[in-house]
Amino acid sequence: MIELRNVTLKYGEKIILDKVSIEIKDNTIKAILGPSGVGKSTILKLMLGLIKPNSGQVFVDGVDITNFKEPELYPIRRKMGIVFQGNALFDSLTIGQNFSFFLRENLRLPEDEIERRVCEQIKFAGLEGYEDQLPESLSGGMRKRVAIGRALIFNPKMILFDEPTAGLDPVSSKKILNLITDLRNNSGLGAVFVTHIIDDVFAIADRVAVLYQGKFIFDDVTEKLHESDHPFIRSILSDKILEL
Amino acid sequence: MPLTFIRTLGNRTTLQLKEFLLTMQEFFFFSIRAFTTMPKLRKYWRDFLDQATICGADSIPIVLVSSISIGSLLAIEVGNLLEEFGAKTMLGRSTALSVIRELGPLLMGLMLSARYGSRNGAELGAMKISEQIDALRAFGTDPVAKLVMPRLAAALVMFIPLTALADFSGLQAAALLAQHYHKIDPGIFWNAVYPRLVAKDFVVGFLKAPVFAIIITLVSSFNGFSARGGTAGVGRSTIKGIVVSSGLVLIANFYVSKIVLENM
Repeated sequence: MIELRNVTLKYGEKIILDKVSIEIKDNTIKAILGPSGVGKSTILKLMLGLIKPNSGQVFVDGVDITNFKEPELYPIRRKMGIVFQGNALFDSLTIGQNFSFFLRENLRLPEDEIERRVCEQIKFAGLEGYEDQLPESLSGGMRKRVAIGRALIFNPKMILFDEPTAGLDPVSSKKILNLITDLRNNSGLGAVFVTHIIDDVFAIADRVAVLYQGKFIFDDVTEKLHESDHPFIRSILSDKILEL
Repeated sequence: MPLTFIRTLGNRTTLQLKEFLLTMQEFFFFSIRAFTTMPKLRKYWRDFLDQATICGADSIPIVLVSSISIGSLLAIEVGNLLEEFGAKTMLGRSTALSVIRELGPLLMGLMLSARYGSRNGAELGAMKISEQIDALRAFGTDPVAKLVMPRLAAALVMFIPLTALADFSGLQAAALLAQHYHKIDPGIFWNAVYPRLVAKDFVVGFLKAPVFAIIITLVSSFNGFSARGGTAGVGRSTIKGIVVSSGLVLIANFYVSKIVLENM
């Protein structure tokens, strides 16, 4: 469904991504693993067309979106939901308003339909009773669930997660990872998640791509990661968490 | 050694110039986008009303304080000067021209640059840092239409009555000071004001309001949108927005006066 083909991205003179190619198929959970600051989140933004590559192409459902203008990208982006690392919830809006905001913005739906969808997402996120609270009053795990619920508001085919368990306690992390798996198993929703925590990859990812020094040094089913003899992969398999 | 120094300095200057030109280009497209999304005002009328309250009604106290201060100060200082030449009765005329043409709109512009500009810069900068602006784009909402255009429209609408308020309160303060400090009869003061004011005087003053509205809103919002580097980055972008917009307000004040006074 999403494909990056020979994508190069530079910030000034610094090469962030060097002719990288990656493909994410529908109904699969794919992890992008790599140390902090290597350009993992940038890949998600490229997939959404939030930033444009210096060279190479980005395909969504077989359509080359690389040179799409902003208004042309809006319908493409609605096929994907994104959960930002810091959740990016609107802090001046209540939880209910955070869910309904984009429905009101982008779809001409009757008010009762908006309310129905918001109730559905609040129930999904397990946040009944918190509709009128501001995001700041929720715990990290709850905020993450709001962000996931919001990402599902347009019924996307794929959901992109930027470090979904970063900063969460082990119990909340497990809940979020289970939620991602449930979404795939119950709703057929594909997922791409970038992470530096290798345990998360083994917990839920069908496939994993390892990004190192601007290139993918591994892209295969997760189980085969153990067979890799690349020194960086060997080191992360022994250290488990990538810290730079 | 000196050659290396000169070369390094040259390279750095070229790089900074390139960066400046790129920023100017980005600012140009950002401004065009803010104006071309004006037709979406109907969709964002609530945001427009919110911003109109913030930059309009909520700004009344600071506009009153600054205009009353400058009106009073002018009445005392200019009155003293005119007294030396035995032309005290001209105080109304000179104060009116200074307030309506120059100081009323200028002080209002500087005050709103600090108040409205800093609010825009900090709010949008915080939204940028916390990826809320990226979230808007990711979910199919144009952040410029949603966040900048209503601010611009509100400033364009509200800065004109604020200028009128600044002029009126400045002159009232001057009239009061003239009466109580210089013992000038209010009738004489106002008689020197109204019959002698011409259209040109109002055009100069009121033309500045929309010019300042555009400068303050676009510069502060652009800096907010360009914020990077955490909370310190928000601080930097807010300060930059205030400094640049205040400087541009001063420059624009001079040129608007010059152009209108030379051509009317």
